[in-house]
Amino acid sequence: MTVFGRENLNTQKPLPLKGLRVIDSTYMFAGPYAGAILADLGAEVIKIEGPARLDFTRGGAFSGLMAENEAGKDPWNRTSTYNLLNRGKKSLVLDLSKPEGREVLVDLMKVSDIFIDNFTPRVMRGWGLDFPNLKKINSRLILITNTGYGHTGPYSAYPAQATTQEATHGLAAVTGYPGGEPSKAGQSYVDFIAAWACMMGAMLALRYRDRFDRSTWVDVGMYQLGCFNIGEYLMNWTANGEPSQRIGNRHRQFAPQGTYRCAGDDAWCTVSVRDDDDWAALTVAIGRPNLATAYPTVEARRTAHDEIDRAITEWTKARGKIEAMETLQAAGIPAGAVLDGRDLHLDPQIRSRGLLEDMPFPPERAMGSRRPVIGRPWKFSGMAPKVDQPGPVFGQHNTEIMRETLGYDAVRIAELEEQEIVTTRPRWKRTPSEMSLDERVRVGRLAYWDRDYKARLGIDDMSDGDPQ
Amino acid sequence: MFPQHDADFALATLGDLKILDLSEGLAGPLCARFLGDFGANVIKVELPEGDAARRWEPFAKGVDAQEASLIFQLANVNKRGVTVDYRTADGIAALRVLIADADIVVESCKPGMLAELGLGYDVLRADNPRLILISITPFGQTGPYRDWQGEEIVTYALSGIMSISGLSTAEPLKHGGMQSQYEGALSAAVAASVAIFTRDLTGEGQHIDVSLQDVVASTLVIQQPFYSWAGAVQGRRQPDGSAYGQVQPCKDGYFIWQTGGGAEWQDIAAFFDREELKEARFETLDGRQRHAGDLDRNVLEATQDRTMLELFRTASEDYRMLFGIAQEPKDIAACEHLRARDFFETAETSAGPQTMPFRLFSMTEGGAVFRCAAPRLGEHNDLLLAPAGSQQ
Repeated sequence: MTVFGRENLNTQKPLPLKGLRVIDSTYMFAGPYAGAILADLGAEVIKIEGPARLDFTRGGAFSGLMAENEAGKDPWNRTSTYNLLNRGKKSLVLDLSKPEGREVLVDLMKVSDIFIDNFTPRVMRGWGLDFPNLKKINSRLILITNTGYGHTGPYSAYPAQATTQEATHGLAAVTGYPGGEPSKAGQSYVDFIAAWACMMGAMLALRYRDRFDRSTWVDVGMYQLGCFNIGEYLMNWTANGEPSQRIGNRHRQFAPQGTYRCAGDDAWCTVSVRDDDDWAALTVAIGRPNLATAYPTVEARRTAHDEIDRAITEWTKARGKIEAMETLQAAGIPAGAVLDGRDLHLDPQIRSRGLLEDMPFPPERAMGSRRPVIGRPWKFSGMAPKVDQPGPVFGQHNTEIMRETLGYDAVRIAELEEQEIVTTRPRWKRTPSEMSLDERVRVGRLAYWDRDYKARLGIDDMSDGDPQ
Repeated sequence: MFPQHDADFALATLGDLKILDLSEGLAGPLCARFLGDFGANVIKVELPEGDAARRWEPFAKGVDAQEASLIFQLANVNKRGVTVDYRTADGIAALRVLIADADIVVESCKPGMLAELGLGYDVLRADNPRLILISITPFGQTGPYRDWQGEEIVTYALSGIMSISGLSTAEPLKHGGMQSQYEGALSAAVAASVAIFTRDLTGEGQHIDVSLQDVVASTLVIQQPFYSWAGAVQGRRQPDGSAYGQVQPCKDGYFIWQTGGGAEWQDIAAFFDREELKEARFETLDGRQRHAGDLDRNVLEATQDRTMLELFRTASEDYRMLFGIAQEPKDIAACEHLRARDFFETAETSAGPQTMPFRLFSMTEGGAVFRCAAPRLGEHNDLLLAPAGSQQ
């Protein structure tokens, strides 16, 4: 039997990207996530931010929460999104708006393998750092660009973010309650598609370089990635002239399918009946075998979908979502409880596979000793990548990078620090949110919060003999 | 043995690789297709009754049933296809010959099924230590749910994403279509690319286990650490006072806007052209959340007589705002920007020419190349399969 990941005894092998240096000049979700996973896989990833231009995940709408919802001395180092998406990286704070800052960047490019950025296309061009020029600086440097629309085409200069693109790339039009408006679902959908696209581009470009000794530029535009993922709707239009429909949680082919209310607060279980066998099993499981003979075909079930939904709900609402799921799965029927943010941490499958990994924090960060974060959705039998460092403190590796990576002498380093081309001090205008968790619940931004979450997660520092 | 690859793929990024695609549905086949797009020599193996996706709607109208599924057409371009009944001893023998010659096998069987057929990873590895095996299933090869029944909505529910999707006053909502499958395909192709790169260094293959539940859960980078940072749990949006960051109606359709990008709050207030929005209470995120009802009302009144396209262009070009519009498939099919990006290809299928999305991203060299339409059922049997035992 194959042995995966954590249980793998053969973890002494070096990680595959060891020895590769990546400059990560990206903000928000997509580029940083790609960089984080490259770091998990062993690459040295150097994150570049500007003294007055901090990653947007260090504060504001997309930053998640600060640990314990407390700002502390350095709120910009405490946010959840920033740490999750920048784990394992080194931080260099560099003022790229000044020519002296760009000189440092060029020096770094000379000794790096990959440069990833998500600037709007005019920025790097304006600095004379477009791909033809990068090749002159370092003929082996791979360029990955990630923007809303890509570097070519009529929309290339439009600002964009996944939230607004979810509508433009067509996903909102096919998502929504039946008869209702187009809807967004989840959060920042296409960012994650873009993260994977950037990673795939990086791996392909590395291989291309190894095989043919030539560097390439991978240009990722998030818009087209999102459009790809409604492929069958696009083809139904181009082949058949059929517009899309919003069918909520129902299936375009199977019936019944839906999300059914269970006992408990906001508790739901999804069920999907793929064929007549599933249907027969379901009617027995919910104690309504007569329905199997009343609606023997999928056509009949689709016509009576509302009535069937009521029958299923009568059964589900009398039991908890987990019991409903387990009972139906035991009968061979696809069923899944709607897990929330807390459930994700406790779900036996996710736990067993180790999707969430403990991110360790040193005591000086005042973040507690460790907090679980999303790792990677793959298990490799031959290697064990892992999350082993938090997101770096702002400018944490400035000196190390200047001295060791770039070979600058003390005079040059002092000069750059003096001019605040390189700094550890953020020129930060944003005031951290002062909204309490209770108020967030009141205004509808949170469903609830658990005061005892650390005990529930087993990360209470008291519980492992490491009192604060 | 694999047939000779087209000579012009010698210089493709993955042109030296032979891939056997045993998978069915969307996630596995699309993963194999992505590798084929970058030049790999991909053979799709189907059971005699064909990939389940051949029976998935939507269908191209007026086309022979086996070849009509648009999902199948999309997921299987750039492959050749054979049928092998690997429920029989002869079929298994034929498959082993192909696997021994392959660099990568992509499969989506029920966990444990390959081992029952005598084709478990350990056996395959003994034949071919360089082999990379990619398994893509709803819950992965391990864990208490490994043998459970998966389906798109089930994966979606168990990944956590539905709990934050839809309205707080209604049931949790899934994305339209088969997003876990598309996400799984690309994510698995990333893992495959990592394994290929690793094998180039070490000469050793490995088994990659992809769980679609893990894939979709991996997208919850705000929601998940809410809990591990502060014990907080996000819910679904309330019906009132939460349109900000959601889809809102205008004169002829729907739009969505966000703060950020190049626009300051006063730029946004100027774009909507409402005096009330210039008030200081809207300038901060906390303020906008506290006065969300007023914010929604102002924005709705300001946009009710404006069209989607005008709003999109004005906001994006003149105000540097983050702005989207709810495009329908017909809008996307006609989009000039996508044409300029070489996004679409037209495949000569047995159902006639079909225009389909193709290019995920551009590369100056070594990028994706469209080669051929999805294979008809058993199209290349004569070319690829000599009788079992007659091969070296």
